[in-house]
Amino acid sequence: MNHFPVGWGRPRDDVYGAYNPSYLPQSHGGTQANPITHTQSPIVTGTSVLAIKYKDGVVIAADNLASYGSLARFTDVKRLKQFNRKAVVGFGGDVSDMQYLDRLLNSLDVEENYGGDAPAESGPHMSAKNLHAYLSKVMYKRRSDFNPLWNAMLVAGLDESDKPFLAYADLLGTTYSSPSLATGFGAHLAQPIMRRAVPNEAASRELSKEQAVECIKECMKVLFYRDARSMPVYSIAVIDGKGVDLKEDEKLENQSWAFAEQIRGYGTQTV
Amino acid sequence: MTSIGTGYDLSNSVFSPDGRNFQVEYATKAVENGGTAIGIRCKDGVVLAMEKLVTSRLMKKDANKRIATVDRNIGVVSAGLVPDGRHFVSRARDEASSWRSTYKAPIPVASLANRMGSYVQAFTLYSSVRPFGITAIVGGFDAETEVDVDGAVGSGPKVGSGGKTQGVKEGGPYLYMIEPSGLYWGYYGAATGKGRQAAKAELEKLNLDPKKGDTISLEEGVKEAARIIYVAHEDSKDKEFELEMTWISAVSGPTKGRHEDVPKELKDEAERLAKKALEGDDEMEE
Amino acid sequence: MFRNNYDNDSVTFSPQGRIFQVEYAQEAVKQGSVVVGIVSKTHAVLAAIKRNAEELSSYQKKVIPIDTHYGVALAGLASDARVLSNFMRQQSLSSRLTYDRPILLSDITSRIADRAQTNTQQYGRRPYGVGLLIAGVDARGPHLFEFQPSGVTQEMVACGIGARSQMARTYLERNLDEFEGSSREELIRHALRSLKESLAQDKELTVDNTSLGISGIGEDFKLYEGQDIAEFLETTFENKEQEPAAGGEGMEVDDS
Repeated sequence: MNHFPVGWGRPRDDVYGAYNPSYLPQSHGGTQANPITHTQSPIVTGTSVLAIKYKDGVVIAADNLASYGSLARFTDVKRLKQFNRKAVVGFGGDVSDMQYLDRLLNSLDVEENYGGDAPAESGPHMSAKNLHAYLSKVMYKRRSDFNPLWNAMLVAGLDESDKPFLAYADLLGTTYSSPSLATGFGAHLAQPIMRRAVPNEAASRELSKEQAVECIKECMKVLFYRDARSMPVYSIAVIDGKGVDLKEDEKLENQSWAFAEQIRGYGTQTV
Repeated sequence: MTSIGTGYDLSNSVFSPDGRNFQVEYATKAVENGGTAIGIRCKDGVVLAMEKLVTSRLMKKDANKRIATVDRNIGVVSAGLVPDGRHFVSRARDEASSWRSTYKAPIPVASLANRMGSYVQAFTLYSSVRPFGITAIVGGFDAETEVDVDGAVGSGPKVGSGGKTQGVKEGGPYLYMIEPSGLYWGYYGAATGKGRQAAKAELEKLNLDPKKGDTISLEEGVKEAARIIYVAHEDSKDKEFELEMTWISAVSGPTKGRHEDVPKELKDEAERLAKKALEGDDEMEE
Repeated sequence: MFRNNYDNDSVTFSPQGRIFQVEYAQEAVKQGSVVVGIVSKTHAVLAAIKRNAEELSSYQKKVIPIDTHYGVALAGLASDARVLSNFMRQQSLSSRLTYDRPILLSDITSRIADRAQTNTQQYGRRPYGVGLLIAGVDARGPHLFEFQPSGVTQEMVACGIGARSQMARTYLERNLDEFEGSSREELIRHALRSLKESLAQDKELTVDNTSLGISGIGEDFKLYEGQDIAEFLETTFENKEQEPAAGGEGMEVDDS
């Protein structure tokens, strides 16, 4: 007995004919192939991405670690990808899907730069807003095919009128926007800290670049303290009217593990 | 042309008794009516130049570009039917893009020329299509430095298994010209279109063959290209024209490995010298 | 007109390298009533003469809005233009859906050009029998493109196509230097005047036979027809008499 209807109590076959199992899988007398399944979980993963808007642009950061489960497998993985001088994408989640998306964006950039009659001084036609619209469509299409790209991304940069732009897109096709954003663990650990700096859009228009960078660095440090899939080497990018300033080998400074003394309930402690 | 009208020239893909494909020859005629296009392969890059005939005063100046970018490091200029040129470029872009998705690296210029030669040749095989009414010049720069695999994670080992070979240099500037028949050759200097004879004569005077000593630099190439287009235009002096020029250098050069417009200052300078050189010639003749 | 051996289809070159079928398609454009387009630094304008099949019939559609930022004017086979304009609408929508940005005019122009080129290189098709002027404003400012059945497209400062359009072009060439700095109203007046040049001696521009499309920086493409263009006509041709003041409907009989 199983859950397939062939085995259920049925009227007599000699009177009503045999049950037609053609819609069932071959393993149960039917003609159908087994259900197709796609990615059910990510393999090699990157952790949180953080970003915050300030008055002239956006600051975005992510560490350089790619984990294989709980193993810190690759320690020089750059998860911030510059698209053009107006947009940077920060990737969390599956690293091979990130590589696929990076190639996709690279092809898109090649197409965008065929140029034609564009005057050189006109700047890129693809703003961070346009790029986010495109990426979110890609993600939504893939999740609707039940074949998601296992990522959560932040798109940071400038919109078509050169105002700071920051938005989120993920494997479900979900999108949202806010003066500060974080993916993964960062959404729980860093976002409350960033919201103290920019509780609303008006506050982000007051924030200086130095304050924004300082806030992000502080959050990266907190994440390293508490996120077991993180590392102290990270990438950070500042996108403003002058272009993208991307540093890919920054180290956390002034760590203090004094707080660890206060933690109870782990390890060999008995009290 | 002999044997016109004997009936063997009415359909593509048909041989005449003496082994000619007339439709392809007629397509070549369409090329010979177009503005002159040239390409020069210099020591450290490639220059492409086009004589753009101005058909109407109402056209927007310096718009309507005729030299197109394929991938990032390759340029295409063609003489002949302009819409056929666009078709050619569109296919070349598709080839470059599919090469990228297969090999995760930019297409080498030689491979692009090969694929486009095959594509153009296919349009001589069937009576349901006509040959391309263009001759296309394809110029590009294959990276000499090691190209990152698109989207690669990490930098990989420096030496040993899976590591990098130190000091290997490959790539460089390349130039090809593809004819309506699908035939293509590699060139040091290529010219097509109405003024090709005059242009070829000028190209042959330049030091372009590396086997015969030092060849000209990219910047000299730009100036020569401008001058040659001006020389080639002499026969149709009554018509106005615009000069369009692009160039491609190594990653270490002025275009950082990309196919780009020649900067305005350099182009203006090249045009000034070109005009001066022509005036000089006229004076000598008088 | 004489037939020759090389004009049966668009996949045969003549010994001179010409494609007659494409050249004949260009003739179809010259049969259509005239349309003109002009751009300034801030605006792009299209103007067209509409014909009616007979006294009691409606007038043609000559200017078609495509997206909020641009429109086209056509000369030649209107049904071919409908195919192309539907395609342009789809492409424009897809740009907005995929990238959340209005399509560039240079982009949409080259897309229809590529479609038109295909029709000149494959057997069993014919070239489009229509010429288009594509005008509007995109992220790179105001633009005007001309599209021909051969697949040739050109960016223009001003352009006129269709029957007797040479006269309109002569006007445009004569006033070429003024367009760039023209205001919205001046640009409209130039467009209407050049249109008038192409009209037969005894014909006038009226609210019935004239179409006008305008877009500018920060101003969506808008089609003006009927009474909406009365004021433009009045200010352009001040000394000319307009329609009869009272009982105008149906009383005016065309002299043709």
